[in-house]
Amino acid sequence: MIEITRILGHCDDPDLSARIHHAGHHGGIEYLHIPPAEAARRRFRAVTDMGSECAVMLPRDQGIFDGAVLLLEHDRAVVARLTEQHWLRLRPSDVEGAALELGYHAGNLHWRVRFDHGDLLVALDGPRETYVARLADLMDEGKVEVVGE
Amino acid sequence: MTVSTEVVGAARVGVGGPVGSGKTALVERLIPLLRGEGIDLAVITNDLVTKEDAERLRRSRLIDPERVLAVEAGACPHTVIREDPTLNIEAAERLDAQFPGLELILIESGGDNLASTFSLDLVDYWMFVIDVAGGDDIPRKRGPGIIQSDLLVINKVDLAPHVGVDLDRMVAEAREVRGGRPVVLTNCRTGDGVDGVVRAIRDAVPLGRQTGKSAGSGSR
Ligand SMILES: Nc1nc2c(ncn2[C@@H]2O[C@H](COP(=O)(O)OP(=O)(O)OP(=O)(O)O)[C@@H](O)[C@H]2O)c(=O)[nH]1
Ligand SMILES: [Mg+2]
Repeated sequence: MIEITRILGHCDDPDLSARIHHAGHHGGIEYLHIPPAEAARRRFRAVTDMGSECAVMLPRDQGIFDGAVLLLEHDRAVVARLTEQHWLRLRPSDVEGAALELGYHAGNLHWRVRFDHGDLLVALDGPRETYVARLADLMDEGKVEVVGE
Repeated sequence: MTVSTEVVGAARVGVGGPVGSGKTALVERLIPLLRGEGIDLAVITNDLVTKEDAERLRRSRLIDPERVLAVEAGACPHTVIREDPTLNIEAAERLDAQFPGLELILIESGGDNLASTFSLDLVDYWMFVIDVAGGDDIPRKRGPGIIQSDLLVINKVDLAPHVGVDLDRMVAEAREVRGGRPVVLTNCRTGDGVDGVVRAIRDAVPLGRQTGKSAGSGSR
């Protein structure tokens, strides 16, 4: 069991990257894959891609990020990798009413969003269908269209 | 990148769910089991405008009354566990400071609706307590509390025959909408099933509070 109680830095930090490279030669660099929605969690158990069990117990002021170095020993390193965030791309039929309604709706559902050239991108933290189901009325009325992921 | 040498405080576990589903009853059942496992424990309760639940726990003598703090949530119980959990964070920090060996803080949310969820800024893990008497269609309604919680607790299973609830179907649908994530059945009147909640917490949440300095670079 590897106990992780702090983040040592980013894997590209100059002083860390050389040591991680070195550890890679001796044993291996292990990756801990974490879904983006879970990155805010401070305490959890997880298993690296090489099967090592980790008990993560981070201070409240630290959070996991992509490339966070969680363990660095002579012959072993553990680096966090956030899994890819999938987005649902929604296009309102107009920039007045429909866009307002969609924005209100997404906020009401506490969806995490981004804006891109008139489209609303919704972070998919669960099955795509559960998000699309919430849009049924807006889509039936022709106000919103799913244009991609 | 700064390296934190701060003490890692106690683990924080949230207990949420609709009004009257049995959150305090579950906490009352959890306290002796967790303490029996040698876990150094404290509790924070959230009520709307009173300290009712905190006083109930203090009176229960299950735990040192000083280890129970109350946060008054005002009109919106979900706000203090999600949008702005500052009051609860401060209460947890106070407990961390006051009890240096503290390993686990249970945070009971005020009774709310099926949409309430905990922020991971506040807790490391959270459960949502619903009860059989609320109806077997509750899981099907897919509230965020039911879908997103780390653990779904279906309480008051003893009432199923009295309220015409098909418990097997309720559990099957709960598992389905949760994509197979854990569901535990409890009767907090008798304590049946509460050990399953303890196991779920222990399986998911590493306890213990090392300083950031001494651990992290070692393994065992
Ligand atoms: N029959 C039965 N009654 C229960 C059970 N668990 C709790 N109760 C009863 O349900 C009522 C509400 O329980 P509480 O523990 O106060 O519920 P709560 O969720 O903390 O309520 P709020 O904090 O006010 O939202 C009480 O009368 C309990 O005795 C159970 O498993 N079976
Ligand atoms: Mg209560």
